[in-house]
Amino acid sequence: MNREADKTGGGSAVTMLVELKDIDKTYDRKSVLKNISLTIDTQEIIAILGGNGVGKSTLLRIIAGMERPSSGKIIFRNKKMNIGYVPERFPKNIRFTPEEYLNYTAKISGMPESIMNKSIPDLLKRFKLEQFNNQWVMNLSKGNIQKVGIIQAIIKRPDLLILDEPLSGLDSLAQQELLEIIKELKKEGTTILLTYHESNLFHKVIDTTYRVENGVLTKETDIVKEPIKLLEVEYLNESHVEKWDEIISIERKKDKLLLYVQAKDSDKILYRLLQLQGSIIRVVTVEAPEEDNR
Amino acid sequence: MKNLIKYTLHDYIRSHKYFPPISTFVILIFVFYTYRPNPIIDSYAVTSVMLYIISAWVCLSVLQLDPPVQRQLMAIHVGGWNRYYLAKLMTAVIIIIILSAYAFLYPIVFNMFGGRVTFTIGLVSFVNHIILAVLGISLASLFSKLIMRSTINSFGGLILTLVLSLAALGIERVFPSFLKNVLWVIPPATITQTPLVNWDGMYISGLSLFPFIWTIIYSLIIIFLFLQLAKRLR
Repeated sequence: MNREADKTGGGSAVTMLVELKDIDKTYDRKSVLKNISLTIDTQEIIAILGGNGVGKSTLLRIIAGMERPSSGKIIFRNKKMNIGYVPERFPKNIRFTPEEYLNYTAKISGMPESIMNKSIPDLLKRFKLEQFNNQWVMNLSKGNIQKVGIIQAIIKRPDLLILDEPLSGLDSLAQQELLEIIKELKKEGTTILLTYHESNLFHKVIDTTYRVENGVLTKETDIVKEPIKLLEVEYLNESHVEKWDEIISIERKKDKLLLYVQAKDSDKILYRLLQLQGSIIRVVTVEAPEEDNR
Repeated sequence: MKNLIKYTLHDYIRSHKYFPPISTFVILIFVFYTYRPNPIIDSYAVTSVMLYIISAWVCLSVLQLDPPVQRQLMAIHVGGWNRYYLAKLMTAVIIIIILSAYAFLYPIVFNMFGGRVTFTIGLVSFVNHIILAVLGISLASLFSKLIMRSTINSFGGLILTLVLSLAALGIERVFPSFLKNVLWVIPPATITQTPLVNWDGMYISGLSLFPFIWTIIYSLIIIFLFLQLAKRLR
């Protein structure tokens, strides 16, 4: 159904940034990606979803130009396109401090020193990394290493930003910061391509979602950006609700639980909460839970 | 590319991976010049061959410095795989230029020669160090783990090739004449030795230059092959 993905996902030729034509990728005779065609337009935010090991990361690496497809073609609108790439696992053994490493990557990308000297301290501050500037990246925690991985991709304000599981290991503040940066970059004209698992953080900003299954790419029906409801509950243990798939996020406020759910799921959740003898204090419609949580 | 070279040199120093090859070379030169006086041209010819082996070792350690994901990120930042690999090879070349300077200056500074090193002899000897070291770098790139996935093929293949190239003069003597053209495939690590040993050291025009030029051409072909294969295998 890749052809359909091509037809439905594509925009006009003027705004096309990257086009994939009949991409196949085989590792040791095992086919990972099959006949994938996709058009990525400028200023689009695309999510590529799917289970573990289905080939999402391979597809992203091929688009980033880091891996060659076994067959097929990739057409870039501009051959000197500026690409930022956040790998799923940022290398752990970097023998530089975050600032040293980011200065090197910015210089290697050809970024002017005047811009670099302003944007690197700013990003280190936004991601709360400035306090770790006397430590090598290899000695930082998993989450902080991931932040360095994100910053190295965004300092040069890329035309195409590719994020492979960017939330892995990030605390909620850093997740919100990343979301804000994604919105800013989109406004500035960046196209964003990302994969993620078990998170609704990007839900509101995604324009198009594709799913990879058995090596085949299919376009998902448009995400309906429904309003989100906040359910405030008392006398309920968090462990009862934390595994419910419908819940977008949970917050604890003294002895109350704040549950964010999509409006369509709210009745179902309310019914379950009452069954658990929880006391509903209020139900309100909120614009975006992640913004309220800040 | 200049900044990627700086990054690699800085990382190489911090990694301490320079220590085994460079300390080995420093000791080899020290031991080689234990006695004095030594013949100038012959001594420099021998230290060039030593550097040929050491430069292959240096190149392997430089190319294997970046983990695979870091390699991919740097290739994106620097603007392509060719630029990335060339920056890494250039880093190895900078290191071997320093080692060549050490091999060249050590016997002069410590007065290990029987005579004075003239400008002509000095220039030819220094260039011979660089040429053979670049040959070592090119071979190591082809046998690095970027091309050879298994350690046995990488190290085993490189050591076998280096040994074979050093034994080329002996192989040539025992090879039947109709098979001699096959020897062109063997890395020309020793072909500059014979003209150097037979050279009187007076004028460059008295030296057969073809072996030197062929060694440069051979190295460039191998580097080109490495760049092509590295791109294909990614």
